[in-house]
Amino acid sequence: MPETNIAITGLGAVSACGNDINETLQNFSDGARNAGKVTLFESELHYPVFQINNPTLLDDPFTMRTLNLAFQAAQEAILEAEFENGFGNLRVGISLGTTVASQLNDTDFYRQYLNQGSAPMNSVDRYLKSNLAQALAQFFKITKINFCTTIVNACSSGTDAIGVGLSWLRNDYCDLVIAGGADELNRVPLDGFGSLSVVSKSLCAPFDRDRAGLNLGEGAGIIILEKETIAHKRKKTPSLFLKGYGLAADAYHLTAPRPDGSGLEQALEQALKEANLKPKDVAFINAHGTATKDNDLVEGKVLAKVFGKKVKFLSTKGFTGHTLGAAGGLEAVFACLGLRHGWVPACAGFMNIDPGIGVAPITHKTKISGNCAVSTSLAFGGNNAALVITRN
Amino acid sequence: MHIAGMGIVFNRGRGLANLDQALTEGWIMPNSVTASCAGVYQVPPEVIIDKQVLKDVRRADNFSKMATLAAFDALADSGIPEENKSKLGIILTTAFGPHVTTFGFLNEILTYGDAGVSPTLFSHSVHNAAASYIALNLQTRGPTLTMTQFANSFQQAIILAESWLKEKRCEYILVGSVDQIGQVMEYICSQKLKLASDGKIKPFNFSQIPEAVPAEGSAFFLVTDNIKYNKYCSISALQQGTKKEDDLYILDSDGMCGNEECYKNITKKVAFTSYAPVFGSMLTLSAFSCMAAALILKNQKIYASPIQENPHNLNILTKNETLAVHKIKCLRYNCYQEELIIQLSRPR
Repeated sequence: MPETNIAITGLGAVSACGNDINETLQNFSDGARNAGKVTLFESELHYPVFQINNPTLLDDPFTMRTLNLAFQAAQEAILEAEFENGFGNLRVGISLGTTVASQLNDTDFYRQYLNQGSAPMNSVDRYLKSNLAQALAQFFKITKINFCTTIVNACSSGTDAIGVGLSWLRNDYCDLVIAGGADELNRVPLDGFGSLSVVSKSLCAPFDRDRAGLNLGEGAGIIILEKETIAHKRKKTPSLFLKGYGLAADAYHLTAPRPDGSGLEQALEQALKEANLKPKDVAFINAHGTATKDNDLVEGKVLAKVFGKKVKFLSTKGFTGHTLGAAGGLEAVFACLGLRHGWVPACAGFMNIDPGIGVAPITHKTKISGNCAVSTSLAFGGNNAALVITRN
Repeated sequence: MHIAGMGIVFNRGRGLANLDQALTEGWIMPNSVTASCAGVYQVPPEVIIDKQVLKDVRRADNFSKMATLAAFDALADSGIPEENKSKLGIILTTAFGPHVTTFGFLNEILTYGDAGVSPTLFSHSVHNAAASYIALNLQTRGPTLTMTQFANSFQQAIILAESWLKEKRCEYILVGSVDQIGQVMEYICSQKLKLASDGKIKPFNFSQIPEAVPAEGSAFFLVTDNIKYNKYCSISALQQGTKKEDDLYILDSDGMCGNEECYKNITKKVAFTSYAPVFGSMLTLSAFSCMAAALILKNQKIYASPIQENPHNLNILTKNETLAVHKIKCLRYNCYQEELIIQLSRPR
C-alpha cells in the first residue's frame, strides 16, 4: 500500500440533535432528545420522529432535502479542514451513502401517473439531479473529481461510503475524500419500517430490556479523509485517523440479522486487524443500536463477546433517531468527537439491562481515556460494517 | 485484474451461448411494445425461472432474480474451487434500483394507507436487496456492497473491485450490474428520451438528440488478481484517454445520456463497434459491452456492428470473423459528457 495513514481533518454533522457540531455536543451533554411529530409529510402513523426543524440551507425547493442536509454537513467539514477556498490540484474523491436519495419514491408523482396515465417530470428531474456524490461535486464546484460514488447499502451506507473512501486513499487514487452519509425523513421508510413492526410509539430505548423499536430520524454526517502526507504539506497536524474498515455479509435474511452475530463479529475482526489493534485497545464503541429487539440483542451480545463484559458502548440513536443512510456518517463523526473531546454522552433512553444481552451501555456522560473508537453499522440484507478510528 | 467467469441475463436469454448467438445474429426488433414505448428489450419471463438456482430466492422480485442468476452463472463459469467462496466479495451496481417494487410499494400506500402496506414489498424495494440475495444464494459471507452512479455505475464498481483486490480485502469478487424496465420507467423514458420508432439504436450517428430503446438485464463478472484464473482477459477502469494503438472501441452511445456529439472527438484511427442495438439502452450498458469485449478477446472472434448506419465514416466492424484482438476499450460519455473508459486486454 502506498500510504496507510489516513487522517480525518474535517467533521460535519446535522441531525435533530444539532445543526452543527457545537450544537450537537451541547445537546449530547444536556441529554436533549428533540423528537416530535413528523410535519414534512402527512401520515396516518403517529410515531415520534427526529425531524430537523431548522436546517440552514433549505432555500431551493427544487433540491432534495437529503442533498441540502449533505451540503450543510459537508460545508462544516470542509470549513474545519480549511478547504473553503477550494482543493487546488488535489485529487478529490466523493463517497457518500444514502437510501432515500437513490429512490424515485415520490408518492405525488406516482399518484398522478396512476390517476391520469401521465405526470409532470419535475419529480423525475429532481431525482436525476439528486445523485448524492455527483450533486456534492457540483455544489462545491469540484472540477477535478477523480472518484465519485454513491453507496446504497441500506443502513450501513454511510459507514461503507467511508470505507470506500479509505480504499481509494490507500490505493493512491485520491489525495482526499469527502465521505459520509445523508438521508431525509420520508413517508416510504416510515410506512415500511412501520409495516415490519419495528417502530416504537414512544422514544426509542437502545439496548434496554423493554425497548420497543426504532424512531426514524434524518441528517447528514460527513468527514474529510486526507492522506497524512497531504495534511502535513498543508502545515496541518492531524489528530484523528481512520485506521480500519471491515464489512461482511450475513447471507441469512433480508431484514433480520444472523442470530449468532457472526457477520458483525467478522466485520469487527477485519477492521481491528487492519488497524493493527486488539479489542482491549478500544476505548468505546458507538454502536448501531437501533432499539429494535433483534438488532440490539445480536449486536449487544457480539460486543460483549468481542470486547468483554466491561465494554464501554452506546447508541446515539436516542439523540438522532435512526437516520438510515446517514447513520454511519453521523456515528463516525460522533466517534471522532468522543475521542477529540474525551467524553461520550449517555446512551439516551436506556434504563434497564436486558438479561438476554448481559451488558449495559453507558448510562451517563462518561469520560473517555483511550485513543481508539469503533463505530458499527448493521443493515437490511445482512450487511455488517465497522470502522476503527484513533486519536494521536 | 482478471476475468475468471461471466454470467448474463438479457433480452435474448441467459448465458454466454445466448450472448454469442445474439452478437452473431445482430440486431432484431425489440421484443416488447408497451403503452409508452414503441419498442422495449425485456427479459422474457421464462428466462428468470430456475427452480434450482432460485429456490431460496423465490420470494424475490425480478430485479433480484436477474442479478442472482447472472452472479450464479459467473461463479459457476469461473471454476474457482468451492472452498475459495469464503474469499469472495460482491459489488453490485444499478442505475435505478428495484423501481418496479418501489412503485408497487407506493401503490400499496395509496391503496391501503400508511398502515396497510406490505413489509415484503418494502424490504425488496431497497437497492441492496439483490446483492443480499446473491450472498444468501451463494452462501458467501465476504464484503457485499451496492453502488449507484447512473451512467458511471459499472466503471465505479470496477475501480472499487481493483481496490479491494489490491488491499487483499478479498481474493475474488463478483462484480456486476442490474437494471430493470417497468411500466412507470417506460413512461419516464418516453418523456425524457427520444425513443427509436423503428426499434433501432443508431450508435454511430452521434446525434444531439439520440434515439433510445429501453432495456433491462444483468451482467456479472467473477474477477480476481490471480492470473491462474484468467479465463477471458484482464479488465481495468483506471485508463484515461483514447489512443490509436487500441485495437477496438466499443461505444455505449445508446441514447440514454443525451447529446452524443462528444463521441465525434474520439480518434478515428481504430476500429469501432457498438452492441447497444443488441442489448438495448441502459445506463449500466457498460457491463454488457464489457462482456461482449471479453468474449471477443477470449475467442478472437469479432462480431459485426449490429447497425451499420455510419454517417461519420468510422472504421466499423462489418462482418463476423476471426481476428487477432488484444486490447478493447469500452467507452461511454455520461450526461455531463465526462469520458468513462474500461479497458479489457489479453497479452499479444
